[in-house]
Amino acid sequence: MTHTFKGGVHPNYMKAPQVPISVVTPPPQVVIPMIQHIGAPCKPLVAKGDYVKMGQKIGENPAPVSAPVHASVSGTVVAVEPRPHPLGDMIMSVVIENDYQDTPCDDLAPLTEEELKSPEAILNRMREAGVVGMGGAMFPTAFKVRSGIGKVDKLVINGAECEPYLNGDHLTMLNYPEQLLKGIELVRIASNVDKAYYGIEINKQDAIDLLNSHHPEQYGIEIVPEAVKYPQGGEKMQIKAVTGREVKPGGLPAGVGCNVVSTRTCYAIYQACYEGKPVIERIVTVGGSALDGPHNALTRVGTPLGYLAEQCGGFVKDPRKIVLGGPMMGICATSFDAPTIKGTAGVLFFTEKEDRMVENPQCIRCGKCITVCPMNLEPVFMYMYYSKGDYENLEKYHVMDCFECGSCAFNCPARMPLTHAFKTAKLMFQAKAAKEKAAADAKAAKEAQK
Amino acid sequence: MSDKKERIILDVAYQPQVRTAKDTKRLMLDVIIALIPAIIVGVLQFGLYPLVLLLTGVCSAVFWEWGYRRLFKKEASIGDLSAALTGLLMGLTMPPSAPWWLPVIGTFFGIVVVKQLYGGIGKNFLNPALAGRAFLFSSYATIMATWSVPNALSGTIDGTTMATPLSGMYGEGLPAYFTAKSMFMGYLPGCIGEISAFALLLGGAYLIWRNVISWRIPVSFIGTVALLTLVFGKSGYSNGQWMLYNLFSGSLMLGAIFMATDYATSPVTLNGQLVYGVGCGLLTVLIRYFGGFPEGTTYAILIMNLCTWAIDKAFHRHQFGVSKADIAFKKAEKLAAKEAAKYE
Repeated sequence: MTHTFKGGVHPNYMKAPQVPISVVTPPPQVVIPMIQHIGAPCKPLVAKGDYVKMGQKIGENPAPVSAPVHASVSGTVVAVEPRPHPLGDMIMSVVIENDYQDTPCDDLAPLTEEELKSPEAILNRMREAGVVGMGGAMFPTAFKVRSGIGKVDKLVINGAECEPYLNGDHLTMLNYPEQLLKGIELVRIASNVDKAYYGIEINKQDAIDLLNSHHPEQYGIEIVPEAVKYPQGGEKMQIKAVTGREVKPGGLPAGVGCNVVSTRTCYAIYQACYEGKPVIERIVTVGGSALDGPHNALTRVGTPLGYLAEQCGGFVKDPRKIVLGGPMMGICATSFDAPTIKGTAGVLFFTEKEDRMVENPQCIRCGKCITVCPMNLEPVFMYMYYSKGDYENLEKYHVMDCFECGSCAFNCPARMPLTHAFKTAKLMFQAKAAKEKAAADAKAAKEAQK
Repeated sequence: MSDKKERIILDVAYQPQVRTAKDTKRLMLDVIIALIPAIIVGVLQFGLYPLVLLLTGVCSAVFWEWGYRRLFKKEASIGDLSAALTGLLMGLTMPPSAPWWLPVIGTFFGIVVVKQLYGGIGKNFLNPALAGRAFLFSSYATIMATWSVPNALSGTIDGTTMATPLSGMYGEGLPAYFTAKSMFMGYLPGCIGEISAFALLLGGAYLIWRNVISWRIPVSFIGTVALLTLVFGKSGYSNGQWMLYNLFSGSLMLGAIFMATDYATSPVTLNGQLVYGVGCGLLTVLIRYFGGFPEGTTYAILIMNLCTWAIDKAFHRHQFGVSKADIAFKKAEKLAAKEAAKYE
């Protein structure tokens, strides 16, 4: 029996787990942005001309919601300046000239037997190694796990990998089953719970069988087979499928006693604790119709996208879009010079073929957006109120519950830009709320002065 | 390579970056494909002339749509096949002996007055094909109620026209040459496309399999008619027989599967669709039992079309993460606050 949620879509998966992992030669220059997580930006710890080793910490911020960044190659720092960031904008980055020696840095030693049993030691190591949610959300894992202690009774590990194209999680399961289970055990110990539930979509049956043959129960892990459906890997959907609980609107998973950690994050935690290796590389699926692929490329953090494409055989057609992550929730990069970061699970070079946009879309009121919405929303009406500028009703239809999975817009036969509209509306509401809060704070400060 | 990169202008769009291949045109094409069995039965029973009516229906509908959009300098829209489908449905609801120009008038009313004047596809609140049919029904009452003898009954019936089973059932009695089985296969007089429940159910199964329509409206519509006719039978018929005669006669199947499920004019909320289907079924039975016409499907659907907006407003889905207990708690909280305000 498979577990799942209501709604969802079945995109063309385009998965290629049979393509073996290929190691990308590190670029002559890596660009390490100081923002590779949600939270306070890091401050550079190195200056132009410094020599850095591979794995050396080069940026940090003491704020609780933050994660340090590390050099992914050894070499000389040639610039500390704003550079194009994959999420748009120019962000302060450290540029390192690669000396191709990969001289390792031994700041982080593997944890001792004893430390591997101590939640505090594991949490500190997660933080020091710069572990963030590597499914794409990039929320600092140490903070997430720490704030869930005492509230969380069910730890959910996300192995759905429901996004089309991406293979990184699947290949991690197939190539490093033992290490992965140990990584999950570490998260379980750090979260102070007895059992972790590992939800995996059954299109990865080979991985499920392999993991089961390694006796997950001895690590306190139960593997939960799930139906193949997008967005099974969404945090709320994963919790619903595995535990049957529904996260409250505007609430955190910890509010219903759950925390979700992704497969790749657990493997990064294994590497950090057992091998003393910070997050400096990951499997990036490089695909799309603009190049000959797909490739499952083990890529250093900070590899420019244009260089990555060249390493993967170059373009066969002019790309029109560079999508970072999967095609359903991935966002577009604005520059070939932007580097890959910790959360980049895929880089897709798309031509016109994929997105199927039309110029003047006309809603036919078919209601297909409603049947697929995993959050029980009614996108057809939300879009109507959005285009009318009726924000009061938009809020009444719970636009803030939308987590932008893109199912409605994917399934729309008329090609309405539904997710786009809701994302815009949400940003507007957030800006409005921030403005109101600032005004209230200013007023309170004035009162206090009196 | 690097100079090439300079030329490329990157598109930056919000997610999703991929979309399903099934677009509006493909959905409309699927409905047209689903109507093929009904067209075949129509030709088998009434000869080749019905094809002329279907052809004038489709051509005139496409022409009105094209002409209107061109005249008012709007974007061309005939490519989505929606007008062609309206024309085809209009043709299928014609009596087999109707003059060739009748569908042309019907599609003018349906396409121009009902659909385009309200803004085109998705904006109309009445089903264009049914509204066109209702218009013709009141303007050309005699033509619209002249029924040719189907080929399957040509040996049994003298003459070229005959009465429909419905007028028999609600009049002096159903003639013996109609059986539930022969009616299911389409051996009865009626509009070109409505006679065979078998062919229409086949088309309906295709549409549900292709995920073009959901089961909710057809099942709740037909189910309501079945239940009501089973409970409120008629003397002279066994209740089961009476139900089957009601299901297989008139335009119930065509209406429930192809007309009531029209996207623009039916509810989009899931529970709303069930309510709408039940409403259609209830009105159909009421008109058949008590109304002035023998057949009620057309008007039942048109009336429920008008209620669609209200139904959608009334039947929201539950908000994710909010249980019934949460809602009850919130209500109690509000009530308590009100009470407290009273005493202040």
